[in-house]
Amino acid sequence: MAAATTAPNPIRRNSSFSPERESFHKFFECWLAEQNQHLHDLISASSPARDGDDQALRPLIDRVMLHYEQYYKAKSRSAKQNVLAMFSPTWRSSFEDAFLWIGGWRPSMAFHLLYSKSGLQLEAQLAELIRGLATSDLADLSPSQLALIDDRQRTTIHQEKAITEKFAKHQETVADASMVELSHTITEMMRAGGGDAAVENEAEMEEEVESALAAKEEGLEEILQMADDLRLSTLKEILNILTSMQAVHFLIAAAELHLRIHEWGKKKDEAQAQTHHLEAHATAQ
Amino acid sequence: MAGICCGLVGESEPSATAEPSSRGSRLRILEPRPFKFVADVALPPASENGRKRQRVEVMPSEGIGSGREARKARVEEEKGKGASEVKVARATDGSTSSRDNLQVEPQESPKFGFTSVCGRRRDMEDAVSVEPLFCSESPQKPNGLHLFGVFDGHGCSHVAIKCKKRLHEIVKEEIGSYRESSVQWKEAMQRSFTRMDSEVQEWSDVAKTSNCRCELQTPQCDAVGSTAVVAIVTPDKIVISNCGDSRAVLCRNGVAIPLSSDHKPDRPDELERIQNAGGRVIYWDGARVLGVLAMSRAIGDNYLKPFVIPDPEVTIVDRTAEDECLILASDGLWDVVSNDTACGVARMCLRAQRPPSPPRSPGSSDLAVGANAESSDKACSDASILLTKLALARHSTDNVSVVVVDLKRDHQR
Repeated sequence: MAAATTAPNPIRRNSSFSPERESFHKFFECWLAEQNQHLHDLISASSPARDGDDQALRPLIDRVMLHYEQYYKAKSRSAKQNVLAMFSPTWRSSFEDAFLWIGGWRPSMAFHLLYSKSGLQLEAQLAELIRGLATSDLADLSPSQLALIDDRQRTTIHQEKAITEKFAKHQETVADASMVELSHTITEMMRAGGGDAAVENEAEMEEEVESALAAKEEGLEEILQMADDLRLSTLKEILNILTSMQAVHFLIAAAELHLRIHEWGKKKDEAQAQTHHLEAHATAQ
Repeated sequence: MAGICCGLVGESEPSATAEPSSRGSRLRILEPRPFKFVADVALPPASENGRKRQRVEVMPSEGIGSGREARKARVEEEKGKGASEVKVARATDGSTSSRDNLQVEPQESPKFGFTSVCGRRRDMEDAVSVEPLFCSESPQKPNGLHLFGVFDGHGCSHVAIKCKKRLHEIVKEEIGSYRESSVQWKEAMQRSFTRMDSEVQEWSDVAKTSNCRCELQTPQCDAVGSTAVVAIVTPDKIVISNCGDSRAVLCRNGVAIPLSSDHKPDRPDELERIQNAGGRVIYWDGARVLGVLAMSRAIGDNYLKPFVIPDPEVTIVDRTAEDECLILASDGLWDVVSNDTACGVARMCLRAQRPPSPPRSPGSSDLAVGANAESSDKACSDASILLTKLALARHSTDNVSVVVVDLKRDHQR
């Protein structure tokens, strides 16, 4: 099993405890372990001898896809409980976190992953391809497949831009008139201080603050759902375009990249924490 | 043999070596190739890459913020046009029935394939034009002419798309204006490009309802343009007209012969022309006209006139029996794949699907010929797709458009 999935996670960038956060964190660790197992299965299934054996490959691909679907279902459930935790995922390393787009991977990245993997396989077998021999992996994308992928890429980028724009608009509402007014009123109250009337007023204001923040979180939840839907649909559409064997190769590349980046990020965080700890120790002395 | 009418072509090319189309020779050519590819990867034209990337960032920056709805419309419009921009065309070959009469070529349909993908860019600004049998040279020469064009837009895609839609019609009108006399290709093409440029300008002035990223708003709209490399294939000639840094390469007997010379601002003659016109070339992440545009000629780009001009350089080549194929492509390909590599890949694809030597016996049936013609066109699209995939494999960061035209005249041999 991957080291990352069993190692304890000493890094908590956000120390605020929340049951949803904790439970999704655990879910994520399990999910990674399962992804690692799937990766092994996919690799064994990718031997050229298995090409065309759809009866063996399809169930595996379906199983891996179901696994992705489960992930997004769990994420959606947790987001309903605590959407903010989904935007500051403690289960991710700082490195991964820095590259997130609306709480997850950027959907258009899937096409870069496909083109990069396809390119590596193409360079490795160019001579065969020129002679018109089939390689059955991602080097062998047919004209119609490339057309469909290109089309899907444009759709994904278009939707990605639309969601980004929606997110931008929602972010801007943090400074809308009601928020500015509310922050001003509360500040004034704090300056004025004490008094029975003030205490009564305070409870009322607190409610107002809560409902203002809740509205912002609702917006986040909706946008997160759109982003996750696009991630999952992009993944499904790409797999629909590929042959079974190509799909296996694509899923391998996706899992390898995901697992290794997670590990590298964790290592970096641990090293950082170590340095930090030593420095603090030195200062104390 | 080769009557190459343009000084810039072929002077430094190694002489063509006869290549028997045996399996042995194919293998021999394939063997050293992996090393060659490695060498190519190891030595990317770094300065050019940097320059291109910069161009990409500089041009559309003003147009991006306001055009969300417009982009949406554009994407939908493009989707509405059919499967997508990646279309692989296969011309039906009309030559099967003419085999009995080898001297007459009623309508030589070309064999071609093309691919055009967004690749690693977030916007598609390339357009490809494929117009087989788009007109005839004159009543005396009724044989059909074919036009192929690659247009690589910058700032937005509307100029490139306009070129794709209109340029062949303009060229047809210009050719028609010669009536009885023979076509003066150079002036015909220069007039066509000038007209294309002014149409783009007029259209931008008129069109109020737009559906592209730039929304045709000045000054952004003035900062939109496109390269144009256009090949007209006649029964005996190839006429290449080029404006910008897309490129046409002829594969003749295994040798890559560039039929156009990229219009870069630091090309000595272009630099001189720009400076004589009062413009400046500023080296800001590569040579750029006024520090902005990384090419010295283009259709559109009003604000850079008269430094950036739409005049094409026209190259006319007589077709020979050694001609194998013609490749037109945007810099998405040429930035990462050399002329020689592209030719090598394309001719291998074309050869791989031709029947191995010896050639068909005279008694072979029409059916066999038809099948061969079909597979040959498949070979062209295979070649275009493989070149595209190679460009993507080599980390091309741009849109990639490739047209491959088979120039072999199978039915004559």
